[in-house]
Amino acid sequence: MIKSLTGLVLRAVVVLFGTALATFTLLWNAPGDPAQAIAMARFDALLTEDVINQVREETGLNTNFWSAFMAWVGPLLTLDFGRSSVTGREVWPDLLTAIRYMIPLALGGLVIGLAISLSLAIIATNRPGGLLDRFAVAVASLGTAIPAYWLGLLLILLFAVHLAWLPAMGARTPSHVILPALTLGLGVAASLTRIIRSGILEARGQQFLPAIRRRGVSKKEISRDHIAPHAAIPVVTVFGLELAFLLEGVVMVEVIFGRPGLGTFLVAAIEARDFPQVQAVVVLTALIFVTVNLIIDVIYRVIDPRIGESNA
Amino acid sequence: MRSVFVIAGILFLLAVFGPFLAPHDPTAINIPNRLSPPGSAYLLGTDMLGRDILSRLLYGARWSLGLAFLISLIGLVVGTLIGLLAALGGKLTDWTVMRVTDTFLAFPDLVAAVVIAGLLGSGTWSLIFALSVTGWMRYARVARGIGLSLQSRGYVIQAKLAGLNNRSIARWHYLPWLLPTLTVVWTSMFARAILGISALGFLGFGVQPPMPEWGTMLLDARIHLRSTPLQMIWPGLAVVISVIVINLAGDILRDAVATERDQA
Amino acid sequence: MLKVDHVWVRRGAGFALRNISLSLFPGKTLAVVGESGAGKSTLIATILDLVKPWKGEITWAGASVQTCSPGLVMQEPRAAFNPVLSLRQSVLEPIVARNEDMPHERIKRLSDSLELSLEIFDRYPGEISIGQAQRVAILRALIAAPPLVLLDEPLSALDAVIQKHTAKLISDLQQEEGFAAMIVTHDLGYAMAYADEIAVIKSGGIEEVSTPQTFAKESKSGYSRLLMEAAMALGALEPSA
Repeated sequence: MIKSLTGLVLRAVVVLFGTALATFTLLWNAPGDPAQAIAMARFDALLTEDVINQVREETGLNTNFWSAFMAWVGPLLTLDFGRSSVTGREVWPDLLTAIRYMIPLALGGLVIGLAISLSLAIIATNRPGGLLDRFAVAVASLGTAIPAYWLGLLLILLFAVHLAWLPAMGARTPSHVILPALTLGLGVAASLTRIIRSGILEARGQQFLPAIRRRGVSKKEISRDHIAPHAAIPVVTVFGLELAFLLEGVVMVEVIFGRPGLGTFLVAAIEARDFPQVQAVVVLTALIFVTVNLIIDVIYRVIDPRIGESNA
Repeated sequence: MRSVFVIAGILFLLAVFGPFLAPHDPTAINIPNRLSPPGSAYLLGTDMLGRDILSRLLYGARWSLGLAFLISLIGLVVGTLIGLLAALGGKLTDWTVMRVTDTFLAFPDLVAAVVIAGLLGSGTWSLIFALSVTGWMRYARVARGIGLSLQSRGYVIQAKLAGLNNRSIARWHYLPWLLPTLTVVWTSMFARAILGISALGFLGFGVQPPMPEWGTMLLDARIHLRSTPLQMIWPGLAVVISVIVINLAGDILRDAVATERDQA
Repeated sequence: MLKVDHVWVRRGAGFALRNISLSLFPGKTLAVVGESGAGKSTLIATILDLVKPWKGEITWAGASVQTCSPGLVMQEPRAAFNPVLSLRQSVLEPIVARNEDMPHERIKRLSDSLELSLEIFDRYPGEISIGQAQRVAILRALIAAPPLVLLDEPLSALDAVIQKHTAKLISDLQQEEGFAAMIVTHDLGYAMAYADEIAVIKSGGIEEVSTPQTFAKESKSGYSRLLMEAAMALGALEPSA
């Protein structure tokens, strides 16, 4: 167990290093001057050619890729993201503001998505193969084909333009979060319904359950020892998948609804070629993802010891 | 079931021959006729520059579907090669290759594509690069998984014993078993590429105006949501229909592959 | 000469093979007998370098076994052929891999000895009987004229009648070709009839090595006696043998 955990952590570190390397390669090759970007990220004052040249020398950007990479990755290890190369402001506070805006949207989307997909899946599995089941599956696969940006526009058209029930653009009042969260939630629901549905069907179909029930094991024990672990694996998997889905959805949904948040922050940073801001989002996201996946892998091994053996 | 393939065929034909059916030049600007409603002259109306929406949709199929086809194919080739390398290259190669794959999976692929396409500068090439670089990992994992399971097959052991090189083993003993499953993966990656292209187009990082691409068309239409809401229906519908048809075709293929495997 | 020199192979916390030493001279037949799970297949895999020994080494004429490109006949003849390739493609693999000229003469001769018609090579593995498939497999193992051939339960997938016949064909071919054969089998009768030497293997270790004659008369270990009695009870061995 300890050995496989060390392996997992080592793997996570390697992956993080790889992400950093890939990001830097991208910045290194992107049009624009990374030295200028770094210089701006570091100093408040307006930049002269001298300062930029000095930075170029200091960071090894005038030398070669690897020394430049080492100079670049150093501050990131302490999560020091520096300053924006456009506004000169510190990256962290703006990033935190963006995340603060994103959280109600992401949570709202997740809650709506879970509510819809759970009820759809439960209704569907009531009679597997029945009319309702096929309807639910069809709706779900239709849902996965509808891109968030189009769904968002359709919802705006219906609820904001025609019915004028809800505000569409911006984030001024709490009700501004409803339409974006609904857009996100419908997407989440579409991707979750099938997984939850087959999870329920599989957990129910475990053939040994009647046998151990007859052996006198109590219902409570069966739920705790057999159904719950079995159902927990898909839930954990889904959590990992949904995290990716949520982040992608958030980017699109925030842009559609002109809502401040991590997605708009990222897109604006890319458009302004604000490298420090872009790399802050990338590094932070990668860190969160790798950590979550690491935790998920550990949970897998705790729930189901077979996984560690086959994967090691 | 057959109807799915008929529709898929029609989509394919539209992507190839659509431009010949287009009544107007998709980039011809005609300001006096801007934002005109659907009518006899412009079947689906015109956009904010007076360009015929139907013609743009038809030309757009070439961008949206054609590029998606290309991107999913690049992913198929690259991913399969990487997966085979991992399966055949020994333990160390396998570990290294799989960590590289993990690295690319450590990030939501669409967000990664946005960052890459955006930073490399908007345009078709960076779009292709961004979506290909973020779209090979599933192929690689599938190819590696099947490859590893083939390792203990009698004929693979015999081929190694015969001194066949890894390239020939991959070609003759691995590829035939990979292709059915990889085709199924390909359909879903094709659908993903369509969604990715239009998403990037919608964000302004994809195919650049005046080229008609469905996502870019949606971006244009969004501004005039209130005055001419129909404008945004068409490109979205085109994306959704394409994706549904491809997903359905993929489901049918998957069932066919599964049945064949069960029989074998 | 094949030399297996104090070989240990790990499996989990224990050992799949423990301190195995064997030798096999050119032209001779060594039968390795034991029940399933005794480590017979692991031994073959180790000789073929598919499994790495933990200790000890295996050589052919002083060099690694790979240098003599040994032939291998497997237990499941069908599984040994890629179903999507014609038998010709499979059989010729060792030749193609070495960029050698097509040995038409040799194929003809081996086919005659193995009672195979030449048109069979245009067919696919699914289109021939298991007995035919095993003979094609033997042909493939021999096509590049290896000095060493490993046979892993070559008869156990075949019907009883074909078993005897195939055993005879293998033995006749060995007379013609002069290769060293290592036959792994759980069939003591087969081993007694055709081997020059019999090695009994049990839970990864060698119980005894002897010629069939001495084996029948004065088997040293109790386990070998047990094997013999079991074989006699099934009628595989005549009590007088």
